[in-house]
Amino acid sequence: MRYLTPSLSVLAIVGLAQGALADGETIAVFTKNQTNPYFQNVRVGTEAAAKGLNVKVLQYIPTKPDSIPEQMSQVEDVIIKKPDAIVFVPVDYKALVPGVEKFNAAKIPVVNFIDRIAGGETVAFIGADDYSIAITSARHLLKAMNGTGNVVIIEGVKGSLTNVDRVRGFNDALKEFPNVKLLASQPGNYQRLAALQVMENLMQSHPKIDGVLAANDAMATGVIEALEGANRKSLIIGINGTKEAVDLIKAGKMLASGDYNGFVQGCLAMTVAVRHLRKQPVPKEVLLKPVVVDKTNYQPYETPVEQRTCPKLEELTN
Amino acid sequence: MTATDAGPLRRGLSGEATQFAARIAAALAVCIVLSLLSDAFLTTSNLLNVLRQTALLFLMASGLTLVILTAGLDLSVGANIGLSACLAAVAIKSTGSPWLGVAVGVGCGSLIGLLNGLLVTALRVPAFIATYGMMWLILGATYSYMGGETVHGFPPAFRQFGSGYFLGIPIPIYMMILFLLLGTLFAQRTVWGQQIYAIGANPVAARLSGIPVQRRLVLVYVVSGAMAGLASLILLARVNSAEADIGEHFTLPAIAAVVIGGTSLFGGSGTIVGTLAGALILTLVVNGMNLLQIKASWQPLVTGVIILLAVWFDIRARRSGE
Repeated sequence: MRYLTPSLSVLAIVGLAQGALADGETIAVFTKNQTNPYFQNVRVGTEAAAKGLNVKVLQYIPTKPDSIPEQMSQVEDVIIKKPDAIVFVPVDYKALVPGVEKFNAAKIPVVNFIDRIAGGETVAFIGADDYSIAITSARHLLKAMNGTGNVVIIEGVKGSLTNVDRVRGFNDALKEFPNVKLLASQPGNYQRLAALQVMENLMQSHPKIDGVLAANDAMATGVIEALEGANRKSLIIGINGTKEAVDLIKAGKMLASGDYNGFVQGCLAMTVAVRHLRKQPVPKEVLLKPVVVDKTNYQPYETPVEQRTCPKLEELTN
Repeated sequence: MTATDAGPLRRGLSGEATQFAARIAAALAVCIVLSLLSDAFLTTSNLLNVLRQTALLFLMASGLTLVILTAGLDLSVGANIGLSACLAAVAIKSTGSPWLGVAVGVGCGSLIGLLNGLLVTALRVPAFIATYGMMWLILGATYSYMGGETVHGFPPAFRQFGSGYFLGIPIPIYMMILFLLLGTLFAQRTVWGQQIYAIGANPVAARLSGIPVQRRLVLVYVVSGAMAGLASLILLARVNSAEADIGEHFTLPAIAAVVIGGTSLFGGSGTIVGTLAGALILTLVVNGMNLLQIKASWQPLVTGVIILLAVWFDIRARRSGE
């Protein structure tokens, strides 16, 4: 059945078996959770790059999503296994600094990606910046509205780093369009049902909402369901470039999604780690340019991530 | 029945009327304040909107009310909703049959409830630990089953459960009323229902008076699981998508709805209609904050204050009633 995808640990074991034939190094990959499809794409990206470079991959994922103590204990476990390098997304950018320091003490090089760690020694940082993705996506929506009308913002989890930057990006884009009125900015906590109900509530007090800026795609889909339920229409953008969002963009129900390209980030982080081990020069920092996926450019996103190929590092750093 | 359990039972029942009035008064107080503050609040469209949102939380919390009445707890409600929703989603997606989805969702929920019940009775694991462990088991199963995938887009016939209307009133509201009536009849008017109160009030006396305590306990966990399975279907029909963590955020709000609704965590006292009032208060708070555009950073604080005020209001009302 299509939904019964093999778990990644199985993939990792397969990768290990194949790698054993070559003189491959071992790289441990740390991601935040098993639930967010985004990190699934990230892991597939690391596996794709590893296959091309002939290295073994060990995936470390907390069973409780985003659990700080669990990732800390995984850090301790992996040090005993002594992999050649670590590719690391901290579940919390401050709380995991001691984890990175432990890698440093064990002299295992760390490539940090996606969320920038607040301390410790790292070989490089690979990421995409939430603020620029948000402001670029918001501009896309506001231009599509011809710079006029009413919008609402559906925020993510209050206080999370990604949400702070995304909401700031949305608001800064709004400043460039003085004829667009921000009716409300309310929290949907990155959840579908919460966003759906917030949108239902906001529609009660606002008869005309022309555009919705949602801080992730799951909330954007909640907003779409709320609007459809009330037979109303708005232009909607989300962030993450998920498969679901691409389907909705294709169906004309969603305007666009800011792409956070987890697959490419996974590819690059793995590539940089291996190049560092093989004494090749690596950039200290790679920030991916924001891409807004809409009906003009969604086609490449329809290829399942498992079948995509990693871009060359040089294409993205230039 | 012996005099030992009739005592607390009768007192519990006579208290129910005041308790019920106090809960509804607390919910009404929130409504009055909101209608003074926002023009959009007191409209048919918004009231139906609030009731539809309440329906989902009520359905999750209604079965849980029975568990808490026995002085038990079900911490696996959210995880149960997640697994039931994901299995139902895949069933509907691969066969196109809404009714198969309903059977799978309710079946999965009930089965998890049965396992909880057996852990608590046959293995004598404390309810908190049994259902906490079960929560992790289910989460693990759901994550590995879904593997980070999202299933979305269900047939219109199935979507009716969540977003459909009958005579201008959303379908979930009818389901809320139906289960409110069934739950209340069961708890107040059947022998089994009364036995559940008796077990919560005094398990030793209940056993001595010949109540099959173990079987009733299994029953309440099965009902709680089945209601979680049913709620997962409404959720699925409303959001039109399922992913592994879809249910995770519901356990605490469901417990809160039961407790704000006046059911004692020590068991033996509380009502299904109280849980409805609790779910209504929690839903009204979010509705009100959205309508009044309370800043996101203030919302947790406002929520906390209103919940405490509602419970304080209720305690006062009950004292003056005595």
